[in-house]
Amino acid sequence: MDAIIQVIHVSKWYDRRAALSDVTIEIEKGDFVLLMGPSGAGKSTLLRMLIGEEQPDEGQVFVHGKNVTKLKQSEIPYLRRKIGSVSQDFRLLSKKSVFDNVALPLVVQGVSEKDIRRKVTEALRAVGVDHKKDQSPNSLSAGEQQRVCIARAIVNGPVVLLADEPTGNLDPERTGEIIELFKLINARGTTVIVATHDPHVMKQINRRAVTLVQGVLMEEGRLAERVGV
Amino acid sequence: MSRLVYIVREAWANMRANRTTTIVAILTTAFTLACVGIFLLLYVNLRNAAGWLQEDVKIMVYLEDSVQAARRQALEKELKSDRMVFGVLFVSKEQALGEFRAQFPAETHLLEGLGENPLPASFVVTLAPNYRSPQSMKGWAERVQTMEGVAKVDYNQEWINVLAELIGYIELAAIGVGLLLSAASVTIIGNTIRLALSTRREEIEILRSVGATRTFIRIPYFLEGAVLGAFGSALSLGILKVGFELFRQQMQSAGRFSGIESLLSFFPFSLCIALVMAGMGLGLAGSVVSLLRVGEGRA
Repeated sequence: MDAIIQVIHVSKWYDRRAALSDVTIEIEKGDFVLLMGPSGAGKSTLLRMLIGEEQPDEGQVFVHGKNVTKLKQSEIPYLRRKIGSVSQDFRLLSKKSVFDNVALPLVVQGVSEKDIRRKVTEALRAVGVDHKKDQSPNSLSAGEQQRVCIARAIVNGPVVLLADEPTGNLDPERTGEIIELFKLINARGTTVIVATHDPHVMKQINRRAVTLVQGVLMEEGRLAERVGV
Repeated sequence: MSRLVYIVREAWANMRANRTTTIVAILTTAFTLACVGIFLLLYVNLRNAAGWLQEDVKIMVYLEDSVQAARRQALEKELKSDRMVFGVLFVSKEQALGEFRAQFPAETHLLEGLGENPLPASFVVTLAPNYRSPQSMKGWAERVQTMEGVAKVDYNQEWINVLAELIGYIELAAIGVGLLLSAASVTIIGNTIRLALSTRREEIEILRSVGATRTFIRIPYFLEGAVLGAFGSALSLGILKVGFELFRQQMQSAGRFSGIESLLSFFPFSLCIALVMAGMGLGLAGSVVSLLRVGEGRA
């Protein structure tokens, strides 16, 4: 198997406090990984490093064969086009329609109008909100907004999907639906990394789990094995 | 194509979203550039006036009374073949007297008392357009003064020098005020762009996260600055044109300026286009300054 993500002896400090401390992880292509840990454990910092938004103070980060720590500023956008991102606060533009929000990653790449229409429609259909394409994100429920956010993350056909606390604003029922969506996306070949401290998510995913506590990688294994499921 | 549509739409959306700021920026830029325009208009008209007046400047080459006809003809030939000379007209003693009588009929008794015609024969010389500067005239006059048979070379050097000096000062003032107020326009537009950047911080973050390049993010703001500058500049031309026409009408109705108002001219169309382009450039500079100083966010 090919490693699509390699985090090698990475450390990061904020005001002498270690956000990440000598973290080493390797994630294979097509994996589904749960990145667990309490708030402030360093999960978001690690995810931000994978898209070049943060630089480690020590160590190296490789994504899809590129050394992110060595990338020039001008090369980072091209890395981000291969990675879909989903966040807890959805980050949708209220002045644009659902369709235009999902189309954004394609527009910045200069994809033709025809292909944009086709790909956005497919992505919205995949997450089950294609009937809301002309509405404003503000008129949608939290669960629907998160689906739109996921559609935007996958519309490009990314090799990796990063989700940072994607169910933080959702009830348990909607959480289940979103997790099922991630599983479906993973089944189609996209590597999925979900950072969470939500116990509902942990219970629903029997996949590789990585735990961070105060920036230190504590343990690795299948969650079901550890909780005895 | 979709990228271009997006960029234009975003620039338009920026301006609509910050409507008040956009209007204030255009108005302030317009009034600022109108101030520069007043100096420019003054400069252009004075330059024109100087051109007409210099065209009208005649140099009088007075001849000694003792000059023989052969020498006079030789002198005329020499003057006509001079590359600095555009035209030469001979005025005999008799013609000079006739002209004096025609122009000052009440004063003819002054000459009658003298008996003999005291007015000298002369050549009225017009210099070629390239040699009508005060320096050229002075040099030419000094050279001709030394020629045999020439009594005196005369032209109104005083006011030519004053006019040249005045134009020089206005040129300097136009450049100084232009630079100062252009910097003000750049700052005004720069601040508008900075405000647009801060109100759209979230959108910029999202664009960055989906892989937009810096250029893609910046272009709508460059476009916005250029449009603000162009609109401001066009409006300033409108303000100037209205002001100019009112001024001209006022002069006409006052009736004391013997038709000078008809000689006044507004900027030619090509200069108007150049000024709008210059406004666009200033707006663009405002955006660049703003984006360089504030940036659209790290990484």
